[in-house]
Amino acid sequence: MFFKNYRTVIFICAAVVAALILLSYSLKYASGTGMVKKLVLEAAASVQIFFNIPVERTKSAWTRYIHLVGLEEDNRKLRQTVAELQAQLILYQEGRLEADRLRQLLSLQQEYQHSFLAARVIGKEQGAFSRSLWINKGSAHGLKPGMPVMVSQGVIGRITDISWHNSKVMLLIDQSSNVDALIQRTRAQGIVRGAGTRDCVMRYVSKTQDVREGDLVLTSGLSNIFPRGLLIGRVSNVGRTDFGLFLQINVVPFADFASIEEVMVVTGVPVQDLAGEKTVK
Amino acid sequence: MIYYLLLPFAGIVLVVFQNTLANVLFSGWLTLELSLVLVIYAGFRLDALKGAVLAFVTGFAFDCVSGAPAGLFAIIYLLIFIFSFFVSLRFAAEKLALITVFSLACSLIESALLLAVYYFVFKFENLGDMLFAFILQALLVSFLSAGAFYMMHKMERFFHGQTRQFPRRAAAGRISAQA
Repeated sequence: MFFKNYRTVIFICAAVVAALILLSYSLKYASGTGMVKKLVLEAAASVQIFFNIPVERTKSAWTRYIHLVGLEEDNRKLRQTVAELQAQLILYQEGRLEADRLRQLLSLQQEYQHSFLAARVIGKEQGAFSRSLWINKGSAHGLKPGMPVMVSQGVIGRITDISWHNSKVMLLIDQSSNVDALIQRTRAQGIVRGAGTRDCVMRYVSKTQDVREGDLVLTSGLSNIFPRGLLIGRVSNVGRTDFGLFLQINVVPFADFASIEEVMVVTGVPVQDLAGEKTVK
Repeated sequence: MIYYLLLPFAGIVLVVFQNTLANVLFSGWLTLELSLVLVIYAGFRLDALKGAVLAFVTGFAFDCVSGAPAGLFAIIYLLIFIFSFFVSLRFAAEKLALITVFSLACSLIESALLLAVYYFVFKFENLGDMLFAFILQALLVSFLSAGAFYMMHKMERFFHGQTRQFPRRAAAGRISAQA
């Protein structure tokens, strides 16, 4: 009767005592390998595996997501770096190309015994009737109207208008441009005139002259404007008509007028190139 | 009977679940003691026999899984259960503020007992470093308890139409021998 009435109290007390004994025993002997504990651990391991499946999957997905976020960030940084490097590369390429062009221009000085002044093209004028360039040197730098202007490939024109710090260069292809020229192979003389496009025509060459496609055209030096022997272009076509006294000769200039960025102005010419004297003008 | 047969498995599942959750959420820095919340809930809602068995089994499972000396959490959970049981004779479980404060107190008592055992028995030093974690853990348990009691209250209303009461405990101001 007593046990029945106080069953719960007795059981709780027994549980507390059991727990205390268990604790004392485990503290004293530190044996973690009891049968019950083994069973609990075995069961717990199975449950742990069961819980680990979704956890690991979630972790894996999360890690992948974080990795992707990192990749996106890396990708953005790399793109930025590539863009910066490309800009730098373009800058270096520009520098190298400019150096090449300037080197070619400077080679003119060794090739010809003239005095040159380098100038940068600051503008282009390509109207219906005129083809000209603006360069960043003017009378303050010693330039004068009529001075020939060259690039490494040959003559491109001459200075027509001038201010203190800028000059206008009339190109060979300008229809107002006339240059005394000769065919290198036969020394046949004529005048190269601009055709308004990318080409020129050579006029006043007698039909009796032997002119062929591919012949080089040089300045003759007769007009006292252009020194003798500067490259102008190459004969691209020779027309012989039944009427008229002269050949119809098309000349393609060596210089590419669309891509000129730097020029050399011929500021001093040995007089022998103009009039046969050995002094520099 | 089925309750007593399933209880060990349920206890193991709960302990493993709370450890896994704590590892995921806090990287092992804090312990998410759902088992303590369950023991406190058992103190308020279950009869003494069932609650005591639950406290003992859950505590023992926690001992085994956490690597604590066997019986340490078993005795602590039993004491907390008895404490809760006595408190439940005076206060209703519907008062969530009381549950929150009581759970906080239980968790702090548990921490104090653990610190005492580890300090006096195992001669552990630098236990002050663990104090902050224990306080956070106690706060966590108190909020979890409030949430758990609220949810269980709603569920009881949903399933039984009203909050389940134990007449012998609600009517008496003492522990019944028959409880």
